[in-house]
Amino acid sequence: MALVRIDGDDLVVVIKGLDKLWAFKSSLTIPLVNVRGATADPGITADPKGIRAPGARVPGVITAGTFHLDGEKVFWDVKDPSKAVVIELADERYSRLVVQVDNPRATVALVENALS
Amino acid sequence: MGRPRAFDEDEAVRAAVGLFGGRAYDGVSVDDLVAHLGVHRNSLYKTFGSKRGLYLAALRRHLADDVRRLCDALAAASDTATALRLVTSADLGLLLLAAVERAPADEEVAAEVEAALLAIDQAIADALAIPAELAAALTATALGILLRGNPGGVGTALTQRLDPLH
Repeated sequence: MALVRIDGDDLVVVIKGLDKLWAFKSSLTIPLVNVRGATADPGITADPKGIRAPGARVPGVITAGTFHLDGEKVFWDVKDPSKAVVIELADERYSRLVVQVDNPRATVALVENALS
Repeated sequence: MGRPRAFDEDEAVRAAVGLFGGRAYDGVSVDDLVAHLGVHRNSLYKTFGSKRGLYLAALRRHLADDVRRLCDALAAASDTATALRLVTSADLGLLLLAAVERAPADEEVAAEVEAALLAIDQAIADALAIPAELAAALTATALGILLRGNPGGVGTALTQRLDPLH
């Protein structure tokens, strides 16, 4: 589970609870200029995720950590696919973040409004 | 240098026009887009940033293709009946859905929709040599007919009453 908020000119993603152990991260701060958009995408968890390093993946339970796919690094922290939000980045270590949030619709609106 | 994109961006955006024009925004999932556009999920995000990014690209494409084509056709209209018929028979699915559904929630969409409607107004005003307000009223009528259908031939009833407008 992640908490997504806007802090000034930054997008801050805080990894909550024990997930931060599996994800090897407790938070990520991304300048908004490097955020391209956010999308609620329950279907993404069914796609190939690539090779994990470091992090944890117990199929059906949790996908967390850094995954390498098609030359891109993707950060994952998802247990419940129905609440997955994809945040696309530019010029960052990660190409995209796939995180589980409480309210995907509200998170997408928060990020998209901060960008416009 | 990135790798070349393994899909036809132009074709994908055109397919998205059809998808977003036929269904509510929330009713189109990323799974639907991936399945219908022939685009991998990763490429979709890399190219458009988000579902909204793709939606905006599709809307702009719809305006550049379908609405532009309508405006070009309107330029040759010589009476209100023809103008009404051209607008009510045009493929404006995405524009109408955008106006009803996304424009109230998204300023960028609202601006695109507004510009498109003004372009149609202007095309009618120029073709029929009538004031912009009157042209806007005709556009409003045509969009109303598109939404409501044409019960009892309201279009004909109106144009018989209006022609000649000047």
